[in-house]
Amino acid sequence: MSGLCVAVPNGALLEGACELLGAAGVDVEASRFDDALLIESGGHRLIKVRPTDVPVYVEMGAADCGIVGKDMLWESHRDAYELVDLRFGGCRLVLAAPEDSALAAGNWPPSLRVATKYPHAAVRFFDRINVAADLIKLHGSVELAPATGLADAILDIVATGRTLRANRLVEVAEAGRSTARFIVNQASLKTRSEAVTALAAALRRAVDARAAAKREGAA
Amino acid sequence: MQDAPTVEGAGAPRGRAGGFTDWLPGAARRRRAAGDAMIRTFEGWGYGMVATPLVEPLDTISSGVGAAKQTQLFRFMDADGALLALVGERTVSVARVVATQLRDGPYPLRLCYAGPVLRNQPPLGGRRRENLQAGCELIGAGCIAADAECVALAAEALSRAGLGGVQVDVGHADFLPGLLEGAGLDASDRERVLAALSGRDLVAVEEALSETSIGDAERALLLRFPALRGGREIVDAAAQGLRAERPRRALGELAQLWDLLMAYGLEGHLHLDLGAVRDWDYYTGPTFELFSGELGFPLGTGGRYDGLLGRFGLPLPATGFVLHVDRCCDALARRGGEAAEPLPPALRVAYAAGGEAIAIRAATALRGPGAAVACDLEPSDGPPAGADLYVDADGAARWWDGSRWADASTAEAVAALAGSTNGRRAT
Repeated sequence: MSGLCVAVPNGALLEGACELLGAAGVDVEASRFDDALLIESGGHRLIKVRPTDVPVYVEMGAADCGIVGKDMLWESHRDAYELVDLRFGGCRLVLAAPEDSALAAGNWPPSLRVATKYPHAAVRFFDRINVAADLIKLHGSVELAPATGLADAILDIVATGRTLRANRLVEVAEAGRSTARFIVNQASLKTRSEAVTALAAALRRAVDARAAAKREGAA
Repeated sequence: MQDAPTVEGAGAPRGRAGGFTDWLPGAARRRRAAGDAMIRTFEGWGYGMVATPLVEPLDTISSGVGAAKQTQLFRFMDADGALLALVGERTVSVARVVATQLRDGPYPLRLCYAGPVLRNQPPLGGRRRENLQAGCELIGAGCIAADAECVALAAEALSRAGLGGVQVDVGHADFLPGLLEGAGLDASDRERVLAALSGRDLVAVEEALSETSIGDAERALLLRFPALRGGREIVDAAAQGLRAERPRRALGELAQLWDLLMAYGLEGHLHLDLGAVRDWDYYTGPTFELFSGELGFPLGTGGRYDGLLGRFGLPLPATGFVLHVDRCCDALARRGGEAAEPLPPALRVAYAAGGEAIAIRAATALRGPGAAVACDLEPSDGPPAGADLYVDADGAARWWDGSRWADASTAEAVAALAGSTNGRRAT
């Protein structure tokens, strides 16, 4: 099996990505990335990059494949095959409004100003529900926008809901669900087909085995 | 030898639009050579070259390509207010030419072209916005032999451009839509699955399929997606359990295409890919992509597009392909086929004051048999380092034989240089 270059995201998904790669036979401790951005394991090269950059490395062929949250794929118009739902790093994209607002009570105003870090996903969501919204792109701390009068509502990623509660915001609607995905460069899927499909199959088996173990644990 | 000028005036305009490339001497020559090699190959297979404008009316373009590609056009306005665009590909232009000026054939009509195309992509994405493309269109032939000719010609042209042994992946634009229709999916379910497939999102394909009533055989086939790929044997494997006529016909065409391509000598380089997903609103039959191990993008793409000519009022079957010359140059550079080449190798003719006229005649004489010759623009006091020929005012000359200056008459020196280096400076 010829070696692949695999891009993994730093931050929240790094630990889970390394665990899953380990279960799929590519042994890698997340701590090995503490003092190196490029490591080798099992004949593969693994690179740690920012989550937003994983699709860039994969599309351009600098990495053959990568692990990245679906939420990153919403915003990047990057060309890559999305092969496996890795079913970890789950989060939801929700529309949230101040708890005392009309919107929170279910009354949609005729026009809506929405702050978000996810403008592309927001456009698709508001198109789907046929609501005219003015979008304001922010780069962080979106939850401050309603309190300061910048926007009526926010469209943001929620994992536990703690941030929403702390800022007296409530969920109005769900716009999408995200989990980690295994993505592959279009040429690598063809020219390194055996190695790529073997890794995809091993990841899929690891994901299924986990899900089965979880069901057993719950039973 | 002059020093490179130092840059002064930090505010001077020297910007270049993002996503555009300056091709420097050497790289630009190799790029042109790659394009020329492709065109020569096309012409050697009986394809006549056409040149189409860099600009087309937006109407013409939008009648040919899908909405997605229209968002990436550089657009502007004509004097009468009509919208124009820089072409993002040239097949539509060739189709327009055939439907308006070459209607009478003779068919099949074999045409080729080369030229820049522009895509207004985000400038910092690492993708070029201007690309040189060379391609062929084979119009008026609906048979698989025409598809085979295009696949084989594309591979041969890449080989002549220095990229031998590329991998060819062949699919069929009607296989998956036919499979879904044959499985009894209604139009909206089919559209959802096909949208997920063309978005290359196999997770969404699985989700979409799980919510439909598709049969087990078809579901199993679709979920094997990346593994729907291999040699001729996958045609038979896929045909098992498929009763519907449409996907079976697509499989039959692929088998026929495979056999013809073996005759073209593509054994070992050819893969069938039933999951190959290309623009369905454009392609109607076999499609193909060419890859080399060096690059994360295809070097060329093509396929059958029987619907396009009809949109220009001339309903004729057609197949063709485009090769991405700039990507080929990237792949060649990564293969390390040719070392960096700062300036084209040329013989340098220098002269003493008063020897200009003799030097110019000597340079002309050397260029006659095909040598590249650069003549100095100012006289030198004695033969300068790096020169190949030095002419005195009285016509006496010296030529550099690789290790020392040899005395001769100008005519003798010219003959010696033309003979010893065959027009290329020895390095």
